[in-house]
Amino acid sequence: MMSKQPQLTRRNMLRGMGVSLALPWMESLSSASSMSRHLSQPDAPPLRMGFVFVPNGVHLQDWTPKAEGFGFELPYILEPLQAVKDDLLVLSGLTHDKGRANGDGAGDHARSASVFLTGAQPRKTAGSNIRSGISVDQAAAQAVGRATKFASIELGCERGRGAGNCDSGYSCAYSSNISWAGESTPVGKETNPRAVFERLFGGDSPAQVEKGYARRQAMKKSVLDFITEDTRKLQKQLGGNDQQKLEEYLNGVREIERRLESNDKIAASNGEFEYNGPDGEPKDYREHLRLMADMMVLAFQSDTTRIATYMFANAGSNRNYRNIEVPDGHHDLSHHGGNAEKLAKIRKINRFHVEQLAYLLGRLKSIREGESTLLDNSMIVYGSGLSDGNRHNNENLPVLMAGSGRGSITTGRHLRFPEETPMCNLFMSMLDRMGAPVDFIGDSTGRLHGLEV
Amino acid sequence: MNNRVTPLKTELVIRTVTACLTVLISASFASANDVPAPIMEHGFTKQAVPMFEMYCADCHQGGAAEGGFDLDRYAKGSQIQTEFETWEKVLRVVTERQMPPKDADQPSEVELQELRTILQAELATFDCEANARPGRVTLRRLNRAEYNNTVRDLLGVDYRPADEFPSDDVGNGFDNIGDVLVIPPLLMEKYLAAAEQIVERTFANEELKKKILVHKAEGEGVELLEAVRKNIDGFASRAFRRPATDEELTRLLGLMVNAYQQGAEPEEAFKLGMQAVLASPHFIFRVELDPTEEDADGIRELNGYEIASRLSYFLWSSMPDEELFALAKSGELTQTTTIQTQVRRMLADPKSKALTENFAGQWLQLRNLNQISPNPEQFPSFNAELRDAMRTETELFFESILHENRSILDFLTADFSHVNETLAKHYGLEGIEGNEFRRVSLNADRRGVLTQASILLITSNPTRTSPVKRGKWILDNILGEPPPPPPEGVEELVEAEQALGSLRERMEEHRENESCAVCHRKMDTLGFGLENFDVIGSWRNADGKFAIDASGTLPGAVSFKTPVELMELLAERKSQEFSRCLTEKMLTYALGRGLESYDRCAVNVILAELQEKGYRFRGLIEAIAISEPFLKREGKGKP
Repeated sequence: MMSKQPQLTRRNMLRGMGVSLALPWMESLSSASSMSRHLSQPDAPPLRMGFVFVPNGVHLQDWTPKAEGFGFELPYILEPLQAVKDDLLVLSGLTHDKGRANGDGAGDHARSASVFLTGAQPRKTAGSNIRSGISVDQAAAQAVGRATKFASIELGCERGRGAGNCDSGYSCAYSSNISWAGESTPVGKETNPRAVFERLFGGDSPAQVEKGYARRQAMKKSVLDFITEDTRKLQKQLGGNDQQKLEEYLNGVREIERRLESNDKIAASNGEFEYNGPDGEPKDYREHLRLMADMMVLAFQSDTTRIATYMFANAGSNRNYRNIEVPDGHHDLSHHGGNAEKLAKIRKINRFHVEQLAYLLGRLKSIREGESTLLDNSMIVYGSGLSDGNRHNNENLPVLMAGSGRGSITTGRHLRFPEETPMCNLFMSMLDRMGAPVDFIGDSTGRLHGLEV
Repeated sequence: MNNRVTPLKTELVIRTVTACLTVLISASFASANDVPAPIMEHGFTKQAVPMFEMYCADCHQGGAAEGGFDLDRYAKGSQIQTEFETWEKVLRVVTERQMPPKDADQPSEVELQELRTILQAELATFDCEANARPGRVTLRRLNRAEYNNTVRDLLGVDYRPADEFPSDDVGNGFDNIGDVLVIPPLLMEKYLAAAEQIVERTFANEELKKKILVHKAEGEGVELLEAVRKNIDGFASRAFRRPATDEELTRLLGLMVNAYQQGAEPEEAFKLGMQAVLASPHFIFRVELDPTEEDADGIRELNGYEIASRLSYFLWSSMPDEELFALAKSGELTQTTTIQTQVRRMLADPKSKALTENFAGQWLQLRNLNQISPNPEQFPSFNAELRDAMRTETELFFESILHENRSILDFLTADFSHVNETLAKHYGLEGIEGNEFRRVSLNADRRGVLTQASILLITSNPTRTSPVKRGKWILDNILGEPPPPPPEGVEELVEAEQALGSLRERMEEHRENESCAVCHRKMDTLGFGLENFDVIGSWRNADGKFAIDASGTLPGAVSFKTPVELMELLAERKSQEFSRCLTEKMLTYALGRGLESYDRCAVNVILAELQEKGYRFRGLIEAIAISEPFLKREGKGKP
């Protein structure tokens, strides 16, 4: 089965670990799997949902296809997606109104990340009382995440900033997180591919299920019981904001309890292949982006989770792109002021990001699940919370979706929605498909029509 | 309505522009004593009230005033002593342009600036004696540095588990702020995994293991249980940084006995107990209980153990040591003289390096150095070695002021620094060889931390210097006057090619527009004062084909010609502002919470002691360590 992963094992930096992964959707095994039955269609592969965030907007003229409907031409920035063009839906006209200042003044970058999946106006604060709203991925994770070992995973290539207030009085929590489990709980993200790998697959594998397994599980459980009781006692003695901190702590404990239980079930499944884990955080940004994409693919493929978010970089990121001969900082460049030279660099960066997306989508498409591919059974949304990095506007956002959502979405098209259509309406439609419908999310006003012909 | 208001408004704008400039000039670049008192005294009724009448009265006047904010109450004065929080809120919503609402007439930038100045002056008249509050630190989990150091000092195991934790979010400029330190599920998972690893690694080392399993059982049964109980007591009481309670020990013992009965080896069962301690909220959080009903005014004095942790996490970013525990137990640590002695002892300990890494690293933003890489084509001499040397220089500089107990004004004007060969070459200093850092006298072109390459680099763009970033950095981190964010809808400065003029000429645009000029006049002047230093902090006399002009005039008509003159000017004229800024930053870091309005009072007390001690750095740290907010805690109920 090694041959299924040629790109991964070929890389010389991937070596060493050899962990066995349960592969519930391998064609020959799909009927044997006990874990991964989707809610509504027990024999079909499950539906996955992924979100990829890029900072600082894009050069929209080279992003938006000229024609609408089927048969559009890929503009310069999207050209790398040629191989998956028929799996794409380019979505023009979507807006995040809550990314606008709405009286809160500067800080568009911080807002652009916190609003990206929440559609909620973040409270302007550099310290206490951060508040945004639940994000679409977490809404799905809380509704249907119990089916898998991990309700969701959160990935990124840049850690949160080390010092300073991140953007005009907004806490760094806003600019370095897109996933929010609740209005005051950013989920945090993993930036080290090795750590992701160990977290996803480093636990008890089928081979480790042996005599002492049950006892070890019971011991782990007893520690959780102990610290839960500690926390309950503390809750009676503390008030105010402390309660919230203890609640966060308890949520974490509950999540782990749940996982311990589902581990028992996963341990009983069969079907394995060997994959050598990555070494750590690569210096090369392209390699880093791709390794993280690999992690998302592996997590989906093994049905370890069905929901993932991925920040290519933090909001307002000023990293340079020397690897593609752009020595300037991305954020500085995004304030191009119409300067042709800067615009050329910006679209180069935008295209570089899309190349990495193409890698992710290509990998998803290369994995067969019965009659379909993993990409067919996914909805991957890619975009930025700002439209144009120079103007800092929040309407007509650069957004595309890939994967047909198990045939529920007619791809290969460019759709243009009326001005000011909330991006959250897209989330409503996606949550329906995930089997996690909600009455509203963020500033949604309804569903997005026309995803399916 | 509009017809009636417009002429009045024009008149007011003209009047306030003049007044505002007067206030700005007099308040911001003369020392506090020179402020013409009458402007301040009458500022509220003569200048703020008319503005409120114009912009707020429609909704906020009379019995039906919105939000209960009725201007009629303040026609004769702000009544600051009882209405402090009201005015703080007004200041905030007006500054952030949340009020007046979007569809109403908006004050101009100039008017806003004036109102800010008046309200701040009004707030400063608050009488502290009448209303002392120590504040309340939100239950604070250990951050990554604290977790690693605590594990090191608790067990002696050479293992940094928190390096694998997600990064800590930053609030109020620091990553140890209780409110901001969340626990996402991912982190809880890491805590449990780390607990297991820490215990495994400790037991893998016979020496370390012996230190935990101090008590041996003579026999079986009850005696064995007694020994286990003593051992876990010893461990838990250090891990929780206070004596473990009987109830806790009984539950821990129950956990271990249960594991044993299910077939675990005795050692395995004990390790499980240790894991439970390391995953417990009493280890992960720094717990300080709320005041009870018996505490007067809902405020309680922290006990010795709590003070020990406050001190150790402030100065060491780690748990207390045996001496602090002993003083906590005896009760001596609640005395200020003991605290001051301990501060001196702790600063002399190598563990105080944490103050450099975590306080200086964030105050001066040295942690951001790694994320910045200048364009190698323009700056071929820049490499990782030089970057590391830059950081080391500033760290050593901070430490020399700390350990030699120098005046904090040396941050601005010291004529010495520390360099190795790499950095010496960068600065054009001769005769320095080898990798070792040593103290040197600086050339006449550099003074203090603002002329160090580290600071100059983190305030630059990869391809060019940014006087705005540098000016803003000084306002934020040295003068404590963070400029408000640019008004909504302001376009970034168009950066045309050099053909259109020098950077300085192009930036004049900031000053042509009055709403930009209010802040940029000062910000840009400060930044251009450092233009002789390029992106990586090398001295230069020209930028491309343009000669550098580093001169400037700050409000108050004080001029400077060179970076060094600017530094001297700051030390001379802005020592109060700098002292207050550094005090506020350090108090924030020491407490682990953002400062509130009432903290002005504590800051003033600390500043007075700092001045009395001739601005010596240790005087500042000692004054913080015996301040009310550092030694007391209030409950949630206090209004």
